[in-house]
Amino acid sequence: MTFYSQNGLTRPVRLTEATRRFAYDSLNHKYGLDTRKTPAVTLDDAEGYDSLTPLERYDLAVSRIARDAPIRICEGEKLSGAATLGNAIGHVVPATYHGETVCRSVSHLTIDFETVLKKGIRGIRQETERSLEKYAGGDREPFVRSCLSCLDSFALWHARYLEALEGMPEYAANLENLRRVPMDPPESFYEAVQSIWFVFAFTRLCGNWPGIGRLDFLLGDYLKADLEAGRLTLDEAREILAHFFIKGCEWVSGGNYGSGDAQHYQNIVLCGVDRDGREVTNEVTMLTLDVLEELGISDFPTTVRLSRNTDEKLLRRVAEVMRFGGGILAVYNEDLIIDALTKYGYELGEARSFANDGCWEVQVPGATDFSYLPFDSLQILQKETLCGYAGDVDYPDYESLYARFVSDLKSNVDSMCRAHEREFLGYDDEAGDWRWTPHMPCTVVSLFERACVERGLSYLEGGPVYRIRSPHIGGLADTASSLYAMKKIVYDEKRLTLPEFLTVLKNNWEGEELLRQTMLRRYTYYGNDNDEADEIAARVLNDFADICDSRNDICGFRFPAGVSTFGRQLEWSGRRLAAPHGRKAGEVLAANCSPTPGTDLRGATAVIRSYCKADLTRMVTGAALDIRLLPGDVKGEEGLDALCALMRGFVALGGFFMQPDIADAAVLREAQEHPEDYGTLSVRVSGWNARFVTLNREWQDMIIAQNEK
Amino acid sequence: MRVSEIQRFCMHDGPGVRTTVFLKGCPLHCAWCHNPETQKPGPEILFWQNKCVGCGACAAVCPVGAHRLTEDGHFFDRSVCKGCGKCAEVCCAGALSPSMREMSVREVYAEIERDRAFYGTSGGVTLSGGEPLAQGDEALSLLRLCREGGIGTAIETSGFFDGDLLPALIPLTDCFLWDFKDGNDERHRQYTGASNGPVIRNLLRADELGAVTALRCIMVRGVNMEEDHYRAIADLWGRLCGCLYVELLPYHAYGGSKMTALGGRDNGRTDWIPSEDDMARAADRLRALGTNLK
Repeated sequence: MTFYSQNGLTRPVRLTEATRRFAYDSLNHKYGLDTRKTPAVTLDDAEGYDSLTPLERYDLAVSRIARDAPIRICEGEKLSGAATLGNAIGHVVPATYHGETVCRSVSHLTIDFETVLKKGIRGIRQETERSLEKYAGGDREPFVRSCLSCLDSFALWHARYLEALEGMPEYAANLENLRRVPMDPPESFYEAVQSIWFVFAFTRLCGNWPGIGRLDFLLGDYLKADLEAGRLTLDEAREILAHFFIKGCEWVSGGNYGSGDAQHYQNIVLCGVDRDGREVTNEVTMLTLDVLEELGISDFPTTVRLSRNTDEKLLRRVAEVMRFGGGILAVYNEDLIIDALTKYGYELGEARSFANDGCWEVQVPGATDFSYLPFDSLQILQKETLCGYAGDVDYPDYESLYARFVSDLKSNVDSMCRAHEREFLGYDDEAGDWRWTPHMPCTVVSLFERACVERGLSYLEGGPVYRIRSPHIGGLADTASSLYAMKKIVYDEKRLTLPEFLTVLKNNWEGEELLRQTMLRRYTYYGNDNDEADEIAARVLNDFADICDSRNDICGFRFPAGVSTFGRQLEWSGRRLAAPHGRKAGEVLAANCSPTPGTDLRGATAVIRSYCKADLTRMVTGAALDIRLLPGDVKGEEGLDALCALMRGFVALGGFFMQPDIADAAVLREAQEHPEDYGTLSVRVSGWNARFVTLNREWQDMIIAQNEK
Repeated sequence: MRVSEIQRFCMHDGPGVRTTVFLKGCPLHCAWCHNPETQKPGPEILFWQNKCVGCGACAAVCPVGAHRLTEDGHFFDRSVCKGCGKCAEVCCAGALSPSMREMSVREVYAEIERDRAFYGTSGGVTLSGGEPLAQGDEALSLLRLCREGGIGTAIETSGFFDGDLLPALIPLTDCFLWDFKDGNDERHRQYTGASNGPVIRNLLRADELGAVTALRCIMVRGVNMEEDHYRAIADLWGRLCGCLYVELLPYHAYGGSKMTALGGRDNGRTDWIPSEDDMARAADRLRALGTNLK
């Protein structure tokens, strides 16, 4: 029973054998496969189903889920509650009516666990009842009634667990905890963890994929009080936290699922300042790092908020855990992010409380209706600005070419945002104003989002405090490097004309291998700390941010910019044409803000420098940098120095989000051939981790190519 | 300055994250040299025959006709090559590359400064080579700039340089990584082309002047992994006040392919590579002799 680590490093053992076994079984699909056995509850026998409104159908589905979903108590578990319906893993409400799925579900949000802990479900119910009085008879009443219905369902599910645990003396502690939480506020660390887990599990049981948010912020005070009173030891607390992480793997079910079997947007955020500017880092932070270090567990991915003031010891501890490989830990630069959020208009306390959407996109947790709008800037350049290389497109100078690209970028972003507005907002002629239109029911998550209940509006209908649609530019490095390549060879050096060059590209470099090799080697592209190349990337981002920021703020709908590809560089590869920086059509190109694979020749510090030249405060929801390190780079004390230096530099230079991974392409290739030997090897994909063997071949090849040096 | 290469994010050339500047030219000619392209002071072209695609661009630009492409392949006549590098500039296959470029001290400093954010309190620049102090005046100017700019400094030296540089050098250098290749002078002469006398004299003088040093000893199996060398290392260690540690570096044969690219024969000697056991035995012996090993 070993948990994979690179470099032959031995992970420390602090947890009990039983807990380690629980982790090992979870990672080897025991509970995920069990979850898949029961895909959904059925509404087939519901009377008058056809005459129900969508919201009523949703409420019915949730009540049936609460009533009929299998109860699961894993052997020796310290926390109870489980999301046991398989279709939830497929991002839908796991209920069917004659084979049809009733409703889709919600992700890309972190729910408001702070309020859950502070008020308990009972407190949320009281608030809902107040809202009912306020909105009775109005058009918001159905939503508020739906909230009450879902709270009833929640209570029913809770009661089923109490009943199940009743006759099981070995779970007396679980039962005792659940008698108080999550209905009432917890009085101990153990209860607090159970409270968060139970609400998280119910939300997931109903098909949603929420993130966790700031775990050490949420739990730190409870642990401190218990430790001071001598009610709990650190070792006991670590076991409880470990079970929280292990339970989080209950959807890990093996098999090849494209992007892996553990991508359910359930990130955790650690460290950083609280609303008042005080550092949060506490014993829970350290215990969480212990658990990650020992189990190398693929869920939940965890991000540490760093700043210029981050304690040297903490930084080193983060490096130590990172070094085992698996890419489970990533880092934010909170100095820059808080600056970005306040510049964008968030109040300082709100900005300081940032977490993410369960992946790495930054949001104010429990208060944000978030989604992102991805697009490929490289295809805009190729197919619009350069007309698909057809005809006799030409620009007299680089600036004209660039200006045209920005205008194409603008029209794409505009129409994308407009289409999205139309989906959520409608113009009310009578009122002479925009208003939210009815949308897919999502009451369960709305219950746990600040302001929804109070406003009587659902999560997708204007309920949350912030409504964010973030255009995400993809293909950044390749667009910048394409522009740079054309600038150099056509305009600066005048070695050939633009139409001549485009003809070569149109023919996918056919018969022009020497020119292609020249383009690959003659110039230093984005990712090598070459100011001229990097400034093009920085300029594209700046112009993109201008485009996003200039949009009207209708109904509080905002469009902050961000950068991502996640794994879309795979699906885009088939639609992209040959690229000027020596790339053939169909090649899998750069991820997120990272350089095109194979172009970064000057090491990790140069990549970070290139990335940080852009003003990343303007990428309000995030700009991710993947850094791939070889095991040899991080060996020994010097290796820890290296990781610490990279993180310090990343903060000092103004990075946003960095996900370092330590993996050897040779080892990954070995895992491809012998998956059975590498069940617990995980790699960083983008905002999530994947156990490598559960990625399909295409994804595996992409990760291997990124690790090739 | 004649710069062979500037490498960033180096973890093994002194403490912390470092930028290593490889300077060209070395008074020694060690048979085991790992960086043979830095030996000669002047420009040379590295030619990687296996990468050549036979496009002929090099022949077209060469002002002295050093490149000739025939049906039998690409012939490079080094006897006429002036090392101007025009061929490398047009080579699209990466088969030709220059072994150095001429840079001003300011330009080199600007490159070093790029990674300032990563150096922290321990990292900085390491001057290496070649023998960096063969370009003594330039090295001093560069170190002075680094000192003024608050960037940590280290020098990786063969110890074979003009000892009069030392009084100026020492206040500008945080640490010397000092090669001690062989305590047996006969072997030293045979394998490096020079006596170890100046190396030892310079080292003792540097120590007297307050230099912080680390002894770096290459271990070549069948050549210098001998009791007399170990005793000489231990003897030096005992005489030095400012020496932090002794580091044993195993010989590797990677320099060999570069020798071929420089027109020599592949002098990589796999029989010289010490095994892990050999290294452990050497370390044990040196520890027994009282040295502090890294």
